[in-house]
Parts: sequence; C-alpha cells; structure tokens
Amino acid sequence: MRWGMVIDLKRCIACYGCQLACKAEHGTPPGVFFARVLKHEEGQFPSVRQLFLPVLCNHCEEPPCVDVCPTGASSKNDADGIVSIDPDVCVGCRSCMMACPYSNRYFNDKPQHYFPQGPTPFEQRRGADHQRDVVMKCNFCKDRVAAGKEPACVANCVTVARVFGDLDDPNSEVSRLIKERGGFPLHPELGTKPSVYYLPA
Amino acid sequence: MNDMTDIKAQGTGDAWVPTSCALCYGSCSILAHRVDDVVVKIEGNPESVVGKGRLCGKGVAGLMTHYDPNRLTVPLRRTNPKKGLNEDPGWKEISWEEALSECADVLRRLRADDPRKLTVQRTTTVSASRMPFLAFNAAFGTPNLSAAGGGMHCGNGAHLLSGLMHGSWSVVPDFQYCNYAIFFGASKGHAAGHASASNMGMAAEARSRGMRMVVVDPMCNFAAAKATEWVPIRVGTDGALALAMCQVLVNELAVFDEAYLQAKTNAPYLIGPKQRYMRDATTGKPMVWDLKQGAARPFNAVAAADMALDGDFEVDGVACQPAFELLRRHLRKFTPEWAETITTIPAANIRRISAEFGREARIGSTIVVEGVTLPYRPVAAIAFRGSQGHMNSVYNFFAISLLNQLVGAADVVGSCLGFNPASNGFEETGRLAYKPHPDADGLMKTGTWMGYHLPYPIAEPKLPEKSGLQDLFVFGLTSPFLDSDDSEALWQKLELPYRPEVMLNFGANLLMSIANKESLANSLARYKFMISIDIFATETSAFADIVLPDCGHLQTLDSRSNYPFIFSLPAGMGEWCWPIRQPVLPPDGEQRRFQDVLLELADRIGIRADLNAAYNASMNLAPPYRLQGDRKYSYEEICDAELKSNFGPERGLDWFKEHGVLKWPKKPEEVYWRPFADVRVPIYWEFIGPVYEKIESLTAPRGIKVPAEYYQPLPDFLPCLSHQCKAPGFDLYAFYYRDILHTNSFTMENPWLDEAAQLDPLSYTIAINADTGRKKGIADGAWIWVENEKGRRVKGRVHLTQAVHPEGLGVAACAGHWGEGMPIAKGKGVFFNDLLELDWEHTSPINLNLDLCARVKVSLAGEGQR
Amino acid sequence: MDANARYNQLIQDLRMELRPQREWGDGKGLYLVVGHFFNGLACGAWLFSLLFGQTTGLLAAYLMGIIGGVTHLMFLGRPARFWRMVRQQKTAWVSRGFLGLSLFLAGATLYLAPIYLPGLLWSEGSLLSTIGYVAAMLGMIGIMGYMGFVYTASKAVPFWNSPLHPALYVSYSLRGGVAVLFVTSWLVPPAKDLTPILLPLWGGITAVVALLFALEIHGALTGGNEAARRSVHDLLAGRVSGYFYLGTLALGLVLPAYFMYAGMSGATTTGLMALLGLASAVGDFFMKFSTLRAGVFLPVWTHLSHQRR
Repeated sequence: MRWGMVIDLKRCIACYGCQLACKAEHGTPPGVFFARVLKHEEGQFPSVRQLFLPVLCNHCEEPPCVDVCPTGASSKNDADGIVSIDPDVCVGCRSCMMACPYSNRYFNDKPQHYFPQGPTPFEQRRGADHQRDVVMKCNFCKDRVAAGKEPACVANCVTVARVFGDLDDPNSEVSRLIKERGGFPLHPELGTKPSVYYLPA
Repeated sequence: MNDMTDIKAQGTGDAWVPTSCALCYGSCSILAHRVDDVVVKIEGNPESVVGKGRLCGKGVAGLMTHYDPNRLTVPLRRTNPKKGLNEDPGWKEISWEEALSECADVLRRLRADDPRKLTVQRTTTVSASRMPFLAFNAAFGTPNLSAAGGGMHCGNGAHLLSGLMHGSWSVVPDFQYCNYAIFFGASKGHAAGHASASNMGMAAEARSRGMRMVVVDPMCNFAAAKATEWVPIRVGTDGALALAMCQVLVNELAVFDEAYLQAKTNAPYLIGPKQRYMRDATTGKPMVWDLKQGAARPFNAVAAADMALDGDFEVDGVACQPAFELLRRHLRKFTPEWAETITTIPAANIRRISAEFGREARIGSTIVVEGVTLPYRPVAAIAFRGSQGHMNSVYNFFAISLLNQLVGAADVVGSCLGFNPASNGFEETGRLAYKPHPDADGLMKTGTWMGYHLPYPIAEPKLPEKSGLQDLFVFGLTSPFLDSDDSEALWQKLELPYRPEVMLNFGANLLMSIANKESLANSLARYKFMISIDIFATETSAFADIVLPDCGHLQTLDSRSNYPFIFSLPAGMGEWCWPIRQPVLPPDGEQRRFQDVLLELADRIGIRADLNAAYNASMNLAPPYRLQGDRKYSYEEICDAELKSNFGPERGLDWFKEHGVLKWPKKPEEVYWRPFADVRVPIYWEFIGPVYEKIESLTAPRGIKVPAEYYQPLPDFLPCLSHQCKAPGFDLYAFYYRDILHTNSFTMENPWLDEAAQLDPLSYTIAINADTGRKKGIADGAWIWVENEKGRRVKGRVHLTQAVHPEGLGVAACAGHWGEGMPIAKGKGVFFNDLLELDWEHTSPINLNLDLCARVKVSLAGEGQR
Repeated sequence: MDANARYNQLIQDLRMELRPQREWGDGKGLYLVVGHFFNGLACGAWLFSLLFGQTTGLLAAYLMGIIGGVTHLMFLGRPARFWRMVRQQKTAWVSRGFLGLSLFLAGATLYLAPIYLPGLLWSEGSLLSTIGYVAAMLGMIGIMGYMGFVYTASKAVPFWNSPLHPALYVSYSLRGGVAVLFVTSWLVPPAKDLTPILLPLWGGITAVVALLFALEIHGALTGGNEAARRSVHDLLAGRVSGYFYLGTLALGLVLPAYFMYAGMSGATTTGLMALLGLASAVGDFFMKFSTLRAGVFLPVWTHLSHQRR
C-alpha cells in the first residue's frame, strides 16, 4: 500500500488549523513546520485571486531527499510509502533540504522552545524526542496512523479539505478524488511522484 | 472556594477531557488530552455540534496560551499612585485575603454610596462570562455592564438589525441549501465570528456543492478569497450598493416576493401623515388596504394575500400609502449610476448582481426538508462588522437586510438565517423553548436575547442612567461614551446623576480594543479604583489598582459555555447542542476562577442573597433548583443547579463532566421557523419617528444636536466623516479587519499563533494596493507612517497587493501591543485603533457605533521597528 | 549568528515566494564552502603536483585535504556521527565525497609517508606506497566529482541543478591546483621553473572556467525557471553581487589576469606568480561562496496557477 493525501484547494480557507494542529501533535520547535500554509496572489486588481496552498512532506515515491542522504537517515518505507527521518542517524548535512523541491524539510538549529523562560510542560513532553541539529519533517503522523487515526492535519481540518488513504487502492477515496476531480501533485515534471495531491480551487 | 480537589485527585493517568475552547467567542467543544499532569493535545470534540471535532488554528494552539509562563499567578497591587501610559504601576505581590478585602471594602462603600458608580467591563472572548457578570451586576445594582468596551469588533448595527429582522444575534447564509450568497464586509464561514469553526466547515461544504458567493469588500481576503466574485468597494459605502440593488429589484426588475412582504413584513401597513401608521380607531391596530373589500382594515383582520402593497389610498379623508409603496418611491433615487459614484462599483455590475440575486431567489418555490414542505429562497445577503462599523451603521445593515426581505429570503430554506432564534426546547423537560412572537402591532419580538435591551420594541428614551448613554440612545448596544474624550461633557449636558468611580474589568484590554490609546488612557485614569481580573498583565491592567490572576480555559468551569443558542451554535439543520467547560488542570500558583472571585466578593460585600436571586432570574432556574436566600453556593453548585434545571435531575454537573455535551435533533419547523411564527418584521421603521422626537426633546434643550437624517423610517446612504475629508494628501481610507489567526488583542501572545501570523503576508502588515503604493514610491516591505487628519499616526510594514481597493488601506485589528506583560505579543503588528478618534463626532448618532474607518495619508518611515 | 537570529531570518525568508537557501554558505554553513574550497585546491594541487613531480605541492595538497575534511565535519549538525556518511554510495554524492576524501587522505598518507619520512616506515615504490598512490588518485577523482554533483542533485535549487556544475567544479579544482603550485613554487622553488608551463595552463583553465560559467548563467536565464533567474539576479545584481564582483571577478580574474599579462610580457617573478595564485584561489573561493549563496529555492507555486478551474 501507499499512503497518500488529497487536499481540496476549493475547501481550504488558510485558517492555519493544519499548521497549528501539527505543532500541537508533534511539539515541533520554533521554525520547524511539518505542515504549513502558503498564500499566493495572482492577477491584477480587480480580477486578482488569492490562492492558498497547505503544504507538507509529499512522501514522494521517488524521493530525491532519500537519494541524497549519505547516512540513510532519510528513508522510504516500501510497505506504506512513508518517507521519514531517523533522528539518531541524521548527521545534519542538509543535502536533503537542497534536494526536496518542495522545501518541506527544516534544520533544527533554532531555539528549542517557544518561551525564553524555558520549555513549557507540554514542550517537555511532546518535544522530548526531538534532536537538535538534525533535519526534521512530516512523517504522515505514522504513530497516529498505526493507531488507526488520521494524521493530525487531516483529522483537524475544519473545512474537511484533507483526505488520507491508500493510493494503491483504486477504490479508495483518495484515488477516486484524484481521478474524478483532476487531482494534481506539485512539480510533477521533476519525476518525484508525490503522494500528496491537490484538487483544483 | 476554588475547590479543585477533583482535578488534583486525578494526578496521573491518561484522559481525554471534554470541555470548551475559549480562544474566541466561538467556544468550540474540545477534548483536552491530559497525560499525568500535562495537557499534551487539544482536539475538537467530534461528539459536539460546535466545531464538529475540528478546530481552527487558535483552538489547537490553546495549550500554549495555557502554558504561557507570562500568565499572572498572584494578586498584584499597584504602588505607583499615578496612572498613565508611561507610568509603571510598580506591582507588588499581595495575598488573596489582602486583595479581596481591599476590593470588597471599596465595592461595599461604593454600593452604599451609589451602585451605579461601578462600571463592569468584560471581554466577549469568554462568552460564558456573561452570566456570572450579568448576575453580579444585577445584584450589585449597576446598569453599567459593557462587553469589551465601546464596540470595536462588535456589531452595534448587526445585532440590532439581526434582532429586529431575524430574532437573533447574528445572521448567516443557510449553508446547507443556499445557492447564492452576497457578503458585505463579513467573513462568516471563512475566518472569525459566531460559530466560526462550524461555519468554516459548512461554508466549505457549500462551496464544494457549488454555492456561488459574491463578496463585497474593500479587501480580497478570507471570504473574498474563496468567493466566486470579489466586488471591491470604497470603504464604508456598502449601504449605497445595497440600496441600489433594492432599487434594481423593486423598480427596474420588479422582482420581489409579494406574498412574503404581505404576510411577514409591515410592507402593507398604511402610512399616513408624519410617517405614522394609519391605526384603526377602535382596536388601535395598524391598518392595511384590503383589496377584496376595497377598504382600510386592521392588519389582523385581513388575509395577507388581500393586502395592498402599492398605490395611494385615502382613509377618512387622509391620504396614505402602504409602506411598500413608500419604499418603492424612496428607492428611486438610488440608481446604480448614483451608487457607482459612491461605491466605485460599475453600474452594470450592480445591475447584474442584483438580477442574479433576484433570479436565484426562486421566489414562490418550495422544498421538502425532512418531510416538511417549506419556502425555498436559496439566496442570502449577509453583513457584519465591515459594512456596519460606520457612522451609517444602522442604514447600511438595514439596506442589506432589505435585500433578504424583498425576496422573502429570511429564515426559510436556503436563505439568510438568524442563529437559532426559535427552539422547541429540550423535550424531556420542556425547558429552553423560545420563539419570536408578535407585539400588538404584529411586529416581531425576539424569543431570547443576549442582554442589553431587546432590539424591539425600542425602549423609551430617557435621560441617561447608564454612563454609556444607551438608555437615551436606545438603538445602541455598546457605547464609546464610557471612555470617550467628551464623555464628561456629555454627562454634564445630559445630567448623568453620578460619575463612574470604580471599574471592574474582566479580561478586556480596552486600551487596545476601542480607539486611540490616549483617549482610553485618560478615561481609565479617571477611575478612582480599578480591579482587573485577567490571565495576563495587559496594557489595560496597567491602570488597575488591584490585578487578580484568573484561571485559563483549561482550568475553569462554565455550565453554559455555548448558550444562548442565538450566539454561537451553528444555524441550519442539525442538532441542538449544550456543551460545558470543565477544569482539566489545576490553577497555577494562586490563580482563581473569576466566577469564584465574584461569589467571594458578593459575600464580602454582603449581596449574596441578591446574587442568588439574580442567578435564579438570569439562568431562569426551575423552582426545585432555585438558589435559596443568602446560602453560600459554590460555583459548582450553581452550575449543577442550572444543568439539572434544564435537563433533569440525572443530568447535573457530574453527568456533563463525563459526557461533555448533550444534544438533540433540530426540527425543520425550528430552523425554518418564519412560516410558523405569526410575526412581521419592519421594512418601514414607523416606530423611529417618536423615538427621535423623544431623544430630540431631551437633547436639544441640553445643547446636543442629534441629526434627524439618521432617524428616518427608510434607509439612506449617509457618508462617514472619512468620506467628507478634503484635506490634501489624505487620499486613503484606512479600515481594519479581523484576522483568521487572532482574537482581538489576546492571541498575539500565543507564540504558535504569533509565529504563523509572522509568516502570513497580511497579519502584521499594512495592505495597500500595489499600484497605489508604486505611485507613492512605496515598495513592498517598506516601513510607513499612517496618519489621520488629527495627526495621530501609526507605523507599520507595507504589504503591496493587488487584492485591496486602490483607495483602501487595510490592517488586521487590535495588534501592536506595547506592554511588558505580554512579551511575545509586544511590537507585533500594527495598532490600527490609534487612528480612531473617540468622540461624539465620530459616533453614529443613532446607535452609538464608533466609525471604524479613517481618512489617512501615508509617508515613508525610517528603517526598523517602531 | 545565534539561534534567535537564525530563527528570525528563517521567518523572514519563509515569507518570500523566492526564498534564498541559507543552510549552505551562511553561518555554520560557511564551513562547507571552506571545506569545498580546500578540498578543491587539494585535488587540483595533488593532480598537478604528481604531473610535475612537485613534492611540496603534494604536501600542500595533503594538508589542504585535511583542512577541508575538518571544516566539512565542522559544518555538520552532528559531526560525531560522521562515519555514518559512508553508507549510501549507491545514490548519495555526499557519501561518495566522504569516501573520496577518506581514500584521498588515507592514500596520500601512505604515499607521502616514505617521501617525507624516508626510511622510517615503508619505501617509495613499495606496495603500500603504490596502494596509497592509487587510493589518493581515486579519492581525488571522487572529491572532484562529489562537489559538483552534490549541487546537481539539489533539485530544490534550480540554479545549481545544472549538468554543467560538475564540470565547473572540476575546472575550479584544476585552476586551484595551478594556483597552489604558483604558491608552493614561490615557497620552495623547484629545480626547474614551472612558470612557463603553469601560466598558460592557468590561462587556459581560466578560459574554460569562464566559458562554463557563462554557459551556466545563460542556461539559468533561459531555462524558464524563476528561481534560477532570481539566483542569477542575486549573483549579478542582488544580495551577493558584491562578493561576485569584488571577490570573484576583481580578485579572481582581473587581478591575476593582469599578473599573467605582466608575466607573459616578461618581467615575471615567482613572488608575483604566487600573488597570482593567491588571488586566483581567493577568487575561486568567492566564486563558490557567491554561487552557493545565490541559491534560491524552487517556488512550489510554479505549477499551481494554471491548475485553477
């Protein structure tokens, strides 16, 4: 199987719920965003349009980040397609950050907690497994998925813009949506074969 | 008091506690995941209708507000007697005993002197604070209760009109069935507001289903960004557009719902001389022209279909016309061409949008919902703060509201809905039932309300007893005159029999939430004593004598975190839902819940019996659960009493703590109540003339001129002061809007939300049209000064964008903290309110709405932060 | 740059649609440029020293290899885990570079030991020495290739993501090798003056470098990629143009070209040639530094706009 996600740009309103639900789920330190929301404007007044694009690791089928990783810290699990980073193995060379065409990897060399006074009890607990000076990124909430839940950004999306499922199953909702609504990945020309698809706004 | 033993006992383990968010007044239902003593996650509670298990960014970020080390943990007393913007209070930590006894002494003496000298101000963010403060105020005996100051972020016009026309606090499209919605300066379903998270989900579903949305707004963000069409408009001119649309519908296209107007409005009521109803001599009822009998008869004696809407009639020799005829004539001057010059929207567009609205309304059609055949009008004209936050507040919202009334799109399937104005109540106990009902003239009175005075009938104006003057200016809800530059002058002229002396503030940072800070600071410094209950030491608390550390949303208890249903329960079909808020974590340090503090103060002042009585009345407790005499109930017991009173003895606080929410299905007759309620709404405000006359009779002799043009029975377009500014160089209309990431000034201290806002192109910047900016030589990212006519100015970083009207200058509201008590928030964003004057001149003379727009000029500022 | 400054910089960067990369070349990332710089010099110097039998040059190459290796390690977030980098030879150029550097240093040690410590360990021409020679040569090739290919493999940065980059880095390396020999020839004058060979060699390689660079810039400008164009803009007229014009062009090209002109027209001294080498090398450093800093991430929007319905 291959886990994948479909994000309906027609539904998304850029509320940042995904970005912040992800922060809450993973307790990521400042400047590390497993999920983010991008805003972009096109056109001229008055026919201008605002486009919102929630992004996360695309868990590519051909992940360039995995290819360039010298230690094997970045790897793709062939059983489910999830690309993850082993923080105990990452050497912090950041080649993967230069290889990921989607800029979804972050180097954890910034402050390790949000308040200068020190980590909150929440951060002490949720952030305990994070290591400094390694690269971090979204892991499709694999612990939640293993426990039968949806990834945090999917479960929380207030506009129900996100669907999570098996791309290898042609009958799954993700496969159906991609087919019926013209789902597209980001930068398909790069041959990375992302597992995150978007539905047109 | 402060009994948290139940929490402390649950020291270890793993629990998902159902409770309620309080990062905004949406009060979504949440589950707090507590592991040992730490909340490790907040998720939406899927069992609840409020949020439906999904939260906005603020909600999930709530735990960082809870765990903020800058939270207040001990009571503080000021040591510096001087109060001012640049005065350090010199906080000294004191014991609760010391703090409470001092506060109680002051309040006791004050109450003995004149209880009206107490002003109580509370934040709207914690909507559940309404009940404890209503009760406390009633017990204390002061009429002065203000929600977060003078109305920034609040809809003086929106709530008045929503109450008058829909029997509810606010309106929203029926997202489940609506096909065509026009938003005027509103972001409902796309950012903040009532039932915000629920509405986001419903609006997304509607968009997905194919609902078309036209958004009229000076800025293309939030709702406009997701709309099928953005209609850029000159700031503050929404009313002109709406009037022109009414003109197109009524006089150009003749598209209106005759049957609805006949049966559900006062359109057929005959208007005689002096803009007054023709009344039946014997019954006193307003009369209509009975087409069948060819005579004027009391409205309740004539079948709606026989009521004339047009024409000139003569009754007993007196010339009169149906209200609709007068509306039709009144509208003629509001041509699309006229509106184009005011709004900058091309007349052709106005005609097209009006025609689309009229066509999509499917006048005359019906639909079956859950077996019930109902009128189907799948269009809605929706407004909120943006369009009504102006001098012309009332007319703007009135004109927009008329669009719905003309096509019968009011509380029927697919139309503009009030938030749940009719409920059959909880079946098992028969409680919580309410419904709009008619007054003697057949006009609608609401079934329930949020406080202040009812939207209708309009109260009799009198010389003010409220320092905000709302008992004189009876259309006003919140008032700027608690704090305005000229409040003392107005109080003198209007003979206010006392002066405010003590302020009890709960969570409101009015220094940042009303207008320029100098005016507010002057007003706050006038109080002889100020108590501030808050979770942070805000800019406003810096004027307090005593600051009391409150519990946060994860530490507190509310039996009605989301009631009344007209406030923030999603409208439309679905379920009724009653959630509570319960403590998940114990207080930190010496924090105490404000509810307990109010009870304790009441005991010390000696008003417990009054407080109990006030709780009985305001919670409408059933006899077996009424609070007795001056018995010292804990807040738990009061909550328990309310819950059992409403839901039966088996569903008390313990039941709710375990289950979190109680819900039951809505019926189509409740949601789409309009056809089932024998009420009419006023498309012609016949009642306004006498109110004006009374106000004028009180104000004119006292040297206050109240302009009559604001008190006409039919809406007009009246420009804001900003529209009349002729000063050279002042070529932009500055306005503010609510950001999706922030709740007023409160959430900028949350580091996750702050971080996201820093990444957002707009949250902390000044939006100016890119071409306008270029013409002025301003580059994207440049620091600029924005200056109003009076020389007040704010500094900020520019974001050049194509997504704002060329004359507009947009700023996300209530940012720009400067105090030390919220260090994450300090210096973030732009303090828009500093551009707002706070005086009579800038206030709507009918509903006291402070104008949110200001004519400004911009100039390049030096590099760097403020 | 402390953690807070890095954080503020990141937040500011993330607001941009065309966002400069700062992981390589900024702050601690400067060590990577230094590492590449010294290792590039080491490879070129090793090659030409072998060709021209310059033992001083070999020693210099060896020392610069060590410096490059150490600075590479200093760049890493977790240097203690450096040994793990050997694992992904199949796909990762960093792994190959790491192996190359290891081979080079080990091989050069074996090869240089008998030269500089004669009679102490093993002799020149012995098996160990020969193994060292071969290992160092393979390592040298590995390093030269790694540096360019590591950029080519960086799909996120279109400016680098060019097939010319490896060739460019090999030519930097060669140019640097000549530069090192200019300097070592001045420090320890060789038996036969190399200037008549080195000077045209330097000129030739410099011409190749300039050509490759021009081609790369042309490719970036015409390749239709907004990020690559922004990089060129940043390099030639933006954020890093100062480094490019002063460091790369003035110090690395104009000044040594003047020296070369002076050398060709007769009045040459080894000191002047050493200055030429130094200037050329510093120019190469700024070349690497400025192209690295000019890196701009591919915007994710590029393919989104026309997906609207």
